[in-house]
Formats: sequence, C-alpha cells, structure tokens
Amino acid sequence: MSKLHRRTFVATLAAGLAGAGGARAQGGTATLGILTALSGPLAAPGRFQMNGFNLARDELNEAGGIEVGGRRLRVELKVYDTRGNPAEGASSMQRLTTVDRVPVVLGELSSGVVPAVAPIAEENEVPFIMTVPTGPGLTKQRNRWVFRVNAHNDMLGKALADFVAQRDWKPIAFIAWNNDAGRGGVRGMQEALPQGFPIAYTGYFNVGEVDFSAHITNIRNSGAKAVMLFMDEEPGSLAISQIRAAGLPVQLIGTLAMGSDRFLARLDAQRLNGMVQYNAFPPNAPIPRIQAFSQRYRARFNEEAHGFAAQSYDGLMVAAAAIRAAGSLQGSRIRDALARIEHQGVTGLIKFDAEGQAHPPVYVTEWCADGKRSILYPAELAAGCGAG
Amino acid sequence: MLAFAEQAVNGLMMGSIYVFVALGMMLIYGVMHVLNFAHGALFMLGGYVAQTIFMRVFDNYLLAVAGAVLFLILIGALLERGVFAPLRGNLRNQVIASLGLVLVIQNTVVAVFGPNALQFPVQATRATVQLGPLSFAVQHLLIIAVGAACVAALFAFLHLTKLGTALRAVSQNPRGALVVGIDVEATHKLAFALSMALAAIGGALLGPLFLVFPQMGDLPLVKGLAGIVLGGMGSIPGAVLGGLAIGVIEATSTLVLPTDWKDVVVFCTIVVVLLLRPQGLFGLRTRDDHG
Repeated sequence: MSKLHRRTFVATLAAGLAGAGGARAQGGTATLGILTALSGPLAAPGRFQMNGFNLARDELNEAGGIEVGGRRLRVELKVYDTRGNPAEGASSMQRLTTVDRVPVVLGELSSGVVPAVAPIAEENEVPFIMTVPTGPGLTKQRNRWVFRVNAHNDMLGKALADFVAQRDWKPIAFIAWNNDAGRGGVRGMQEALPQGFPIAYTGYFNVGEVDFSAHITNIRNSGAKAVMLFMDEEPGSLAISQIRAAGLPVQLIGTLAMGSDRFLARLDAQRLNGMVQYNAFPPNAPIPRIQAFSQRYRARFNEEAHGFAAQSYDGLMVAAAAIRAAGSLQGSRIRDALARIEHQGVTGLIKFDAEGQAHPPVYVTEWCADGKRSILYPAELAAGCGAG
Repeated sequence: MLAFAEQAVNGLMMGSIYVFVALGMMLIYGVMHVLNFAHGALFMLGGYVAQTIFMRVFDNYLLAVAGAVLFLILIGALLERGVFAPLRGNLRNQVIASLGLVLVIQNTVVAVFGPNALQFPVQATRATVQLGPLSFAVQHLLIIAVGAACVAALFAFLHLTKLGTALRAVSQNPRGALVVGIDVEATHKLAFALSMALAAIGGALLGPLFLVFPQMGDLPLVKGLAGIVLGGMGSIPGAVLGGLAIGVIEATSTLVLPTDWKDVVVFCTIVVVLLLRPQGLFGLRTRDDHG
C-alpha cells in the first residue's frame, strides 16, 4: 500500500469510526457491554445473569430510556460469551472497549476471568461492574475502574460464620472449587469463624470434576459434623447426591446457588431437608422490593427469581443511574458518578466503598421438609417455611 | 481401614470405567494398530444416546443401554468404512483422523444437545446399598459388576469361539491369518463393533452416576490410555489390570495426599513402572504367550 493510499485508508477508517460513534448518539441509544457465559460449564448461571440484564434493559426502555444531557437514550446491550475462560474474557473486553466502544461493561460470572478483564477496563478508562463473581481479591487491586454490586466471599462467609458459630456444627469440613472463588470462599470462612473453631478437612476439586467420593471418605474419616460446599448448582447437586448416597451423617451448608427451586428440581426435598445456605436474594422474603421483583421476574420468565438475576438487574440499574447522574456517555464521568452513587436496588442499598465494593445484606436460608425454604439469618428478618 | 475399604470400592468403580475405555481402544489397536483417540468422544456419545432413549423413548434403563450399544455399533461401522478403511496402510493418517473425529463428535453433540450437562436420573439405581457401616449407590456396584461381566464375556469370546480366535490371529499376524483363510476385513469390523459396544456400555453406565456432558469422555480416555500403558501395550489382561490399578491408586492416594494430587500420583506410578519395566506390566510376555 503506498503512503498516499495508506493515509487515505486511515482517514476513511477514522471517519467511519467517528461516524459509527456519532450515529450511536444521534440514533438515541446507549449501548452497554455485557460479559457472561452463554456456553460451557457456567452456561446455566449465565442465563440467570442475562435474565437480570434483559429485564432491567426492558424496564428502562419502557420507562423511556436513560436521560442524558436532555436526550432520552434507549438502552441496548452488546453481549459477549466468555465461556468462563480468561482468554475469551480478555479478548471480549478488548473488543467492547476499543471496537464497540461501550461506555460501561457489566457482568462476568467467573472470578477467574475478572483478573484478565480488569486491566483492560483501566487501560481504556471504561468502568467495569461485576454482578456475580465472588473472589474477594477482585476489588482489592487498586483499580479505580472496577466495581461490584454483589457481596464477595468474605462478606458471605462472615454472615454464614456468624450463623454457624451459633450452632454446634463443629468440626466443620469444606469441599471447594480449586479456583479463586472456592479457595477464597474457604479462606473467608476460616477467617470469619471464631478463633480456634475446629476445621476437620478441606478438599478442592477442579471445575468439570464430578466424582466427590474421595472427599466424602476423607470427611467421614475426619469426623466432621458439617460440610460447607463452595460450588455452584451442577457440582453442588452431584456432591449432595453422593454425600447422601454414602450415608454421611453431616449438616450440609451451601452457597446461594443451592437455595433455589431449580436446585430442588435437580435433587428432591428429602435429600435437601435441613441444608442451610447463604443467600443474597431470598426470592420469597416478606420484603416489598424483593416480592415486587420476584413477581415481575416470574411474569417475564415463568420461573422463580434467582439471586444472580437480581444482582445483575441491580448492576444495570446502577449503571443507568450513574449515566444519568454523569449526564454523559464518557467512561471517566460515569466512573466518578458510580463512586458517589447511592441506589436502592432490589438486593438492598448499593453504595460503593473506596474499593468499589457494595455492601448488600446477606441472608441464611434453610430447606424445609416440604421443599420450601425459611429465612434463619439475619435474626430480624427471620421467617418461616415458604419465605426463603 | 474403613476409609480404605470405601475408597477401594470407589476406585474399583472408576477403574471399571477406565477398563471399558482401555479394552475398547485395545481391541482396535490389536487388529488395526491404530490408537483411536476418538474413543473418549464415542464413550460420551454412548452416554448421550442412552440418556436420550431413557428420557424420551422407553423410560427403561436396560433398553436405553441396549439402544446405545446398537447406535454406537452403527456409528462404528460407518466410521470404520468411511474413515479408517480408506486410510488403511497409513497409520499416521488414521491417528490424525481419530483426533479430528474427537472435534467432530464433540461439536456435533454440543450442536444437537447444547453445551449444558444433562441429568440421567435412573431411580432404580439411585437407591443405596448398605455394606457394613458404609453405603453405596446401586449404580456404583452395577458398574463394577457389569465391568467384570463384560471382561469375562470378552475373554470367553476371544479364547473359546472361532471368531475370537480369528480376531486374535489377525492381531498377531494379519498375513498369516489371511493365508489360513481368515477374512481380515471382517475381523476389523468385528473389532470395531466390540469396541463401540464397550464404549456405549461405559458411557451409559457412568451417565446416571454423574451427569452427561460433552467432556465426560475426556478423563476416561486419558486414564484408559494410562491403564493401557501401565498394563502393557497390546495386552488385553494388561488393559484390564492397568485400568483397575489406575482407578484404585488414584482413589486410595487421596487418603494420604490432597485430592488434587491424585493425577500426579497416578502418573508418577506409571513413570516408575515404565522405568523398571519399559514394556509395561504385561507387555511382551502376554504377547509371547499368545504367539
């Protein structure tokens, strides 16, 4: 390519890109970037995350869109499937920030993907709002562009540890994912439990592993009274069915992925009876904002609302509120607005601390014999079977 | 001791699954000298076919397993004729073709069934059996029992029937077998059919215990291969003992080492065995016995 041609080519390309950007503003839409898993081992939770984003987008648009500088912009989502893979996450983030040039990116499920994504957000000055990953370290990287609406493992662990310490469930054992979410969860619980609380066994498994027999034998051998499972629905259902089949007499403690009707359908009330789990969003709680969201969610998707959906719904609503407050689609202004925002979401009040971490309430629910759930913690919100 | 007993049973169960894969690969390797890397993917396909028949057609586990066996024998016949027969005489291309088949089969399954794991809830085998203070799912014991039965049946077939003898003859000396009037082409097809049947049974047995998902054959393939190497390339008894040994070693190692070290223990054992006996446990000697 000759020098002249190259210059013409670059000029045309620049004009084209500027045109694309301009068209976006003139067309009256704000396109926000989404990272999620639509395929691979995290596809099932990815669907809940997308349900939350889609519901928020539709409600925003039905209400006339987001008002930015006197204009009302329709919200559109540009979605990339990271398949829970850091390399896919990095290339998708690069594309969202440099090619699609979105003002905000939300989502992701896997704590393992975020470290690959966050530096790209910083480099391109685009705020990144997590709505599901729970690795505690993700908001401690001194990256001003990273925010998280959901509670991380240390916060979830603190609530659960408070609860476990009240019961006589010692010694306790852990089976956890061999990644930041699992190891971080175990570490968070260990730190949150009272000094000297006995831990009989800790076992890790890799994503995709399905055989928990070795852990079960070790737990039986260790004499643990309770087992905490740091994993999501799929391995969780396998671990519980294998623990019950092996006749291990332990109290089961799970994550928020294990407190849903969907999870019940994977197993049955008999095998879940008595199990407790922390929960960021008990869908039947007697709290008006939660009940209203659950109703709208059921009307739209014909299933019980899920915590990941509620968190992701809140994430998009917070992003919209920040865009409105910033009065601009410029990443840096939205970031500053996010740092100051106070938003009453369905999961609770969302206000980011200096590390970009919000502090929503955390619950502990228990499975009843009839397949319903009760709320046990916090004590002031405790409610009987059917409320969780 | 109790823990050891529990893990030994668990190890025998996973070991039986590795034996299904190892034997299937060994049968094809024996007559065609090709390591069929698509065997893990075919094992997975067996799981999917059985799950589909069980959930959508018959609601009968036995029929689902039988259906998976028939379907995979059919697929095997197509693969043998369409892929391996045209490449006969070029071992390298056959191995590369088998690697390509892994991609084709896995992605076809993802396209048809989706990427998510499927449940295969067989109520009858979900019940538990009490063995002293321990309890196991019926499916666990079923896998071990069916594994043992299949091994016994295969040995009987290879040593007591004319067809089995022909198969062994071809594996030892194809030209000699041709001279005495054995149809070598037909033996290839027979080996493929037997191998497919074992893959289908293995996949259909493992599915209800865990889940049915596109990567479910990957681990059994690697461990089955390890069993073959440990037992000695080309030896059927070696494949059986190698597969079972891998299962028991990895299960019992978790009693003393962290569970995520079990693969390290298995592969270190193989390295040590191969250093001391490069031909594997049964490598040359069994071949000589046969020859």
